[in-house]
Amino acid sequence: MIKNRVKELRARFHFTQGELADKVGVTRQTIVALEKGSYIPSLLLAMNISEVFELPIGEIFMKEEK
Amino acid sequence: MRMYVAVFLRIMLFISTSLLVYDFLVIEQNFIKMERGFTSGFEVYISPWPGYIFVGSALFFLIANLLQYLSVRRDKKSDIKAFMSFEYDVSDERAVANTRKAVSIAFALLLVYSLLMIGSYMSIPNYFVDHIWFPLFTTASIPIFGLLVYLIAYKVLQYK
Repeated sequence: MIKNRVKELRARFHFTQGELADKVGVTRQTIVALEKGSYIPSLLLAMNISEVFELPIGEIFMKEEK
Repeated sequence: MRMYVAVFLRIMLFISTSLLVYDFLVIEQNFIKMERGFTSGFEVYISPWPGYIFVGSALFFLIANLLQYLSVRRDKKSDIKAFMSFEYDVSDERAVANTRKAVSIAFALLLVYSLLMIGSYMSIPNYFVDHIWFPLFTTASIPIFGLLVYLIAYKVLQYK
């Protein structure tokens, strides 16, 4: 499984889910699913998110140890 | 909403086509009965409604498909390469992934359903002569079943 810090970073940057969705080129439902952890993004989407938050992908998405 | 409309129109197309073919089969069957001397003549009423529904649904479907294509082309988030028909959501990468999953689920269940439908012919052989609608409507029920499974599977995946 992959966990992410999208919700935390979005709050830090004061973005709404809709604003983040527009910035990375997906729908708001995808951001909701990402934050819930029920959707694993493509590499392109992960790169777009890392660009918005100005952080390396590895600091936003990480493998969850079982 | 768009997906509900698309599935509804597809189903209306299948139902209206079945009704049109059914009317044709009834007439053909009556002619055969007459040729073989079972009847001396027959009367039949053919409703124009299945034809109206077919033409209306087909036109509406084509127009909606074209509008959806234009809207997908304009929307930067949408995946134009994945666009086939407007019941397939291509609004972003997750929608495309969900569509693929929903189509897989629908296909898997369709294979089981088709098997059951073929099997159903075995238990009611007389239906082919006395009730010619049976093979026709069971055939039409196969894509309708697939569409409904696809719609339900997609909606479940969308809100997961």
